[in-house]
Amino acid sequence: MSLLRVDDVSKSFGGLRAVDHVSLELVEREILGMIGPNGAGKTTLFSVIAGSIPASSGSVFLRERRISGLPANRVVAAGVVRTHQIVRPFTNLTVLENVMVGAMFGSPESRGNPRRRAHEELSFVGLADRAEHPPLGLTLVARKRLELARALATGPRVLLLDEVMAGVNPAEGIEMTKLIRIIRDQRGISIIMIEHILAAVMSVSDRVVVLDYGKKIAQGKPAEVVRDSKVISAYLGEQSAAAKSPQRARREEEAP
Amino acid sequence: MARGLELLLSAILLAGLYATMAYGLGLIFGVLRIVNLNHGGMIMAGAYLGWWFHEHAKIDPYLSLPMVAAFSFGVGVIIYRGLVRHLPRGAAGGAQSLLLLFGVWLVLRNAAYFWFTGNEQVIRTEYSTTAVVILGSALSVNRLIVFAIAALLLVGLHLLLTRTYFGKAVRAVAQNADSCTLAGVHVEGIYTLTFGIGSALAGIAGLLLGTLFTFNPSFGGAELLKSFVIVVLGGLGSVPGTAIAALILAMVEVFAILVLPAYLTGAVGFVLLVLVLIFRPGGLFGHRVLG
Amino acid sequence: MSALRRLRPDWLSPSAAAAFLVTIGLLHALPHVFQLSPYDHNQITLAFIFLAAALAWNWIGGFAGQVSFGHAAMFGVGGFVAARIAQAQLVPFWLTWLVGGVAAGAYGLAWGHPTLRLRGPYFSIATIGVGEATRLVATYWQGFTGGASGLALPIDAGLKHALYWYALYFLALVAIGSYAIRNSRVGLGLMSIKSDVEAAADVGVPVVFSQDLVLFLSSAVVGVAGGIYASYFSFIEPTDMFGFDRSISFVLMAVIGGVGTVFGPALGAVVFVLLRLYLIATYPHLYLGLYGALLVLVVLFEPLGISGLIFRVARRLRAQRSAT
Repeated sequence: MSLLRVDDVSKSFGGLRAVDHVSLELVEREILGMIGPNGAGKTTLFSVIAGSIPASSGSVFLRERRISGLPANRVVAAGVVRTHQIVRPFTNLTVLENVMVGAMFGSPESRGNPRRRAHEELSFVGLADRAEHPPLGLTLVARKRLELARALATGPRVLLLDEVMAGVNPAEGIEMTKLIRIIRDQRGISIIMIEHILAAVMSVSDRVVVLDYGKKIAQGKPAEVVRDSKVISAYLGEQSAAAKSPQRARREEEAP
Repeated sequence: MARGLELLLSAILLAGLYATMAYGLGLIFGVLRIVNLNHGGMIMAGAYLGWWFHEHAKIDPYLSLPMVAAFSFGVGVIIYRGLVRHLPRGAAGGAQSLLLLFGVWLVLRNAAYFWFTGNEQVIRTEYSTTAVVILGSALSVNRLIVFAIAALLLVGLHLLLTRTYFGKAVRAVAQNADSCTLAGVHVEGIYTLTFGIGSALAGIAGLLLGTLFTFNPSFGGAELLKSFVIVVLGGLGSVPGTAIAALILAMVEVFAILVLPAYLTGAVGFVLLVLVLIFRPGGLFGHRVLG
Repeated sequence: MSALRRLRPDWLSPSAAAAFLVTIGLLHALPHVFQLSPYDHNQITLAFIFLAAALAWNWIGGFAGQVSFGHAAMFGVGGFVAARIAQAQLVPFWLTWLVGGVAAGAYGLAWGHPTLRLRGPYFSIATIGVGEATRLVATYWQGFTGGASGLALPIDAGLKHALYWYALYFLALVAIGSYAIRNSRVGLGLMSIKSDVEAAADVGVPVVFSQDLVLFLSSAVVGVAGGIYASYFSFIEPTDMFGFDRSISFVLMAVIGGVGTVFGPALGAVVFVLLRLYLIATYPHLYLGLYGALLVLVVLFEPLGISGLIFRVARRLRAQRSAT
């Protein structure tokens, strides 16, 4: 039985079809990489799965229980949480309080002792010494870790990571991949990660799915997907890599 | 049926005034992302200024318009440079700018009480009560002049925004201020001028309103709310949108007289505001106000 | 001792509780100890009512960050419902206050539920609309408010003096509520909503429920305040109860005292009442402008108002002490 099942989901914004009949499955203890050119609809798909925006058609199931149509906070209570491409810490709270929000409002099993849980998650991501600081003083990678800790504090079964490596240097990236592997191995959380840094995605993912123009164009083991000609032409285009089709440029602009 | 036509013409004349009144609020919000809660204060100030020119200098209100406009513009510039400029931009500044401009409004109200007492005033000229018959309806000369002035102003604004460099700069800043800075546009200058123009428009609207209705220092609150209805309905900074929305509001108000007792027609604007915000917060042109 | 600890919710600190109990005790004894004149006694009673209302306004305006310029609507609903029931003389006066509070809470929830989806200035403007529409309807709804001439309540000779203690304990409850909301799960949720409503929902905060709950509570408390106010004056009329000036007063008290802090609005209410007394005596025509100027100064220089000043002073003292 699949853990998370995306069933023929589409999302349109006015005339623009951001997500076009995408289906995918996530099983227990799996890391699913999601790649594709900018504007391919990856973040939009995350928003639909997480309940931030409603699907135009199609459904999402968690352990065969329909979660599409639920508001975002109920999806979190069910066990699916997402991080944001551009991090969004609560600037009026300390780092610890940020994570406590996740601990207090996450899935019911997670709510035991929020303060202690928050400390644990902060230690896990390596931010324990910053607990009483406001998020503003943190570096970008620290803020990404905060976002991760906050999401983990909700006690999810499925974690949707949106470009968690973007903007971090290679050493920090390696640390991050280590964390992600531990999340899968030690906590049994399944992860879908959107990533542009192909080396990172390929090394850590069990399977990879590729989106382009809102459609799923390939899926499979990382090694297979990388050799798929459709994937190569999606990334490199028919002409040289520098030329970008106007359609793709418009998608990048309009898909949120 | 003649009554219906009379009401319709009445609504159209009123709409011109409403559009002028609302446009300044929409302009400031569209460009600076700030709700000018002092909008009502500027309207009140314009009315009193026009009244003062008429009482003491015997200047016809419609002729004092340039002076009222200039004065209101100046006040707006001072408010922006002296106060508003110091607030943080974005969400954090939102509630603060509301409270700040609200405070300014209170100060202006008090100043008006102090100088002019709380009595009801109106700018009454010799021709205030004369009417002209058009299409079988008797229309007050005042309302016609007000409409003409309003129409001219709106056309001028539209041209300013679409045909001049300044207008282009204003629209660019409204879309993306950071990029404008990078492109060499003097964003702070645009903000200052926009705030000034928005205040000037409010002052002019106040002057015009003062020739039609009585006013006191508490004047302006209902006008602020009506302006907001129009801005939300019609889109920010768009003259045609504002005009259409103003017409809708004016028609609802005027025809409500047929259905509601007199004292409740004042509440129509407020109810419409709340309903618009609840059901169509994006206005007619889909501007996002949620989240 | 350990049994007590288990009873204590984890947001309650013992020193805060002790300080609170002492303060209430002192205020309770104040009239007996100081032989206050009836005027002073009554002014303090009124102050208690306003303090409570300001604290409650702050729950939605400060904690949740949704600034309401229309809370007079609930103050009026509470007051007039209580007054109407009092006129029937069927139930004790404190019950009229409770019913008034519930009615006000329900009214707040009715217009609040759809409008709380709006953010920032849009919500605030909507509240102005609600406040004014309520006032207009109420002013002419003879059956409910007696029209512009208002309603008189049956006079209860000893009540006004006793109101001091009723208002005090009402305030105490509201203050406990303020502290509890701020330091509990609900308060943390509200602050996250205030910071970033979408991100809050994305980590599980029930945005709609939290805001609805807080607006209901805030409205109900302000409604009870209106009921006590009605009992105090034995006569109320719509312009005073529902007026925009009334709504403004709540905003001013909270902002001057420290919007978003736990007890700041209470401080602001004290300042507000004292200023008003002073200004009515010396500069009756200037108090609006003075409040406006205060608002401007607070926003520009000390967004947390008087509380902010106190925090700054406290921090400087602490820094000096640790430096020496």
